[in-house]
Amino acid sequence: MDSLSVANLKQRPLRTAVSMAGVSLGVVLVVLMGGLTRGMTRDAAGRQSNVDAEIRFLPGGEISITTSNPLMLSARYAGAIVNGVKPAPENPGVEPKPPVAAVAAATPVGQYVQTGAGAIGFEMVDGIDYASFKDVTSIKIVQGRPLGSGGDEQTAHEAIVDRFYAEKNLGLDNKPIRIGSKIKVLDQPFTVAGVYEPPMLARVKIPLKTMQELFGGADNCSFVMVKLKDREPVDRVIETINDYYPGNNVIPTSEIPALYSQGLFAVDVLLDVVVGLSAVISGLVILLAMFTTITERTREIGILKSLGASKRLIVTIIEREAALISAMGVVLGFVLSAIGRYSIQSSTRLIVDLDIKWLLIGGLIGMAGGVIGAFYPAIRAANLDPVEALSYE
Amino acid sequence: MKRPVQPKFFNYMSTILETVDLKMTYRVGKVDVHALRGVTLNVARGEYIAIMGPSGCGKSTLLHIAGGMLTPTSGRLIIDGEDVTAMSDAQRTELRRRKIGFVFQRFNLFPTLSAEGNLKLAERIYARAKNGGNPEGRRRILKLLKLEDKLHHKPLELSGGEQQRVAIARAVVNRPALVLADEPTGNLDSENSKVVLDMLRGLNNEFGQTIVMITHNPEAAARADRVVEMRDGLILSAGVPHTDS
Repeated sequence: MDSLSVANLKQRPLRTAVSMAGVSLGVVLVVLMGGLTRGMTRDAAGRQSNVDAEIRFLPGGEISITTSNPLMLSARYAGAIVNGVKPAPENPGVEPKPPVAAVAAATPVGQYVQTGAGAIGFEMVDGIDYASFKDVTSIKIVQGRPLGSGGDEQTAHEAIVDRFYAEKNLGLDNKPIRIGSKIKVLDQPFTVAGVYEPPMLARVKIPLKTMQELFGGADNCSFVMVKLKDREPVDRVIETINDYYPGNNVIPTSEIPALYSQGLFAVDVLLDVVVGLSAVISGLVILLAMFTTITERTREIGILKSLGASKRLIVTIIEREAALISAMGVVLGFVLSAIGRYSIQSSTRLIVDLDIKWLLIGGLIGMAGGVIGAFYPAIRAANLDPVEALSYE
Repeated sequence: MKRPVQPKFFNYMSTILETVDLKMTYRVGKVDVHALRGVTLNVARGEYIAIMGPSGCGKSTLLHIAGGMLTPTSGRLIIDGEDVTAMSDAQRTELRRRKIGFVFQRFNLFPTLSAEGNLKLAERIYARAKNGGNPEGRRRILKLLKLEDKLHHKPLELSGGEQQRVAIARAVVNRPALVLADEPTGNLDSENSKVVLDMLRGLNNEFGQTIVMITHNPEAAARADRVVEMRDGLILSAGVPHTDS
């Protein structure tokens, strides 16, 4: 029976190839979409947490990354946490707060999500105060110079980028990025002042002051990163900050990757749709292929029946053929996914992780779609009248 | 040169195929077509009979019913002691698998499989197991049918006569109780017809294979032990066993 299935596939190589291609399309969709989501999420989440600061201080309410109102938190919290709050002559009613003793440094960061280069995906931009940012992170300028304050005309439209960004992008002059190149950030031209390492938060950083001016001028940021003195317990410091400044979200930086992934609910829904769609594509391709095959092979099914093949055996033969096509389609899908991954990563800044989970889901969808798709044609074949089948022209 | 005539005797107590007042009516549009009007026939174990008659007389219908591929409208069919008319579709399939081999006018080999592949497929269906079948039995039959050197040829690489010999080999490879042959020489020239008829005769003589053959060809019918004549869904003459040819 195996040889019959294999011989049938060899007999119609074009149809076999088209069916395999159909199954592989579903597999590629699942593997690349899943891999893309995972790759981008992992990369972004990794860069979110790839800082030395142990605590993230965010505005109250639901934690989210959004393109609207990115600067919702007063940037003054950074100074307040480090230095405490004292009543000022212009605001005598303010409640005084002592510095949070365990904190070594804090820096405000503005963050905005913009459309990625070539309108593919999205990318974040950080607005930072370089002077305090370097105190809470291990940022190092490896080419050019540090980012200016943005408080003067000369530094307001400067940016620093990480090495990956510099290597994967072109400047506005369509040439590889180097120091002095112009790049487009928030729809405005910025001059690359330096290249930094390691990658952390967004790949592109501009002065916080410039970002604040672009979004209305208030002295706000998206969050404050807090670095503790050595061996200070994170939980206790978070408790203290919450006591002093209630109503905000104060979380350990180590929780950021998980929060980041949870925040991408819409992406998960999209992935579910892609997985479902892929299963339908695989199923329909196999259904049509097997339906045509069975119509063409009606007489052969009649012969099988004349030889005493049971309905179950006929279903098994057809399902085996569908499973063979599906398996070859799945393998082809994996190969095409690997090629697709290489093409995407070499021509865009997108990152695709070919991880085992999405390979398994893709493979399973391809196989299940094929086997389920062949079921109706198989049942139909099994129920053919043997005499009519034998006289089929 | 004609061989000397040898008398051949059958044990009619050992009936392999028995039909009792078989009737078969088809509905074609609004018209009832009476293909069989009450056929009663006995075939003894080891007998080789030919059924003759004009087109539309019900020969093929009788053969399909005898093979468990059609259910008669009424009457009884008993094969090797089992009442087929009382069987479910699955039981008839099982009976066909165990006890019946078919030979068709158009050979009906699997075009994608070699001659040996066609035989092995029949063995696998019969045995329902992934073993190698019965290589010794297969070899004997292939030798008898002079097909040893054609094992790896696909049907389209064989002549019509060779294809029919492969089809006969497939029909008998599992040593069925009954071989039903539907115009086995209908698509062959006279030379190949003679070869195929010799093969059937040889199988009957050597293995005691029971054969029921439909034919239009009087020469083919003359090779059988007995000739049954049909007309208008009835048996005109059940024939008398005659001598081996």
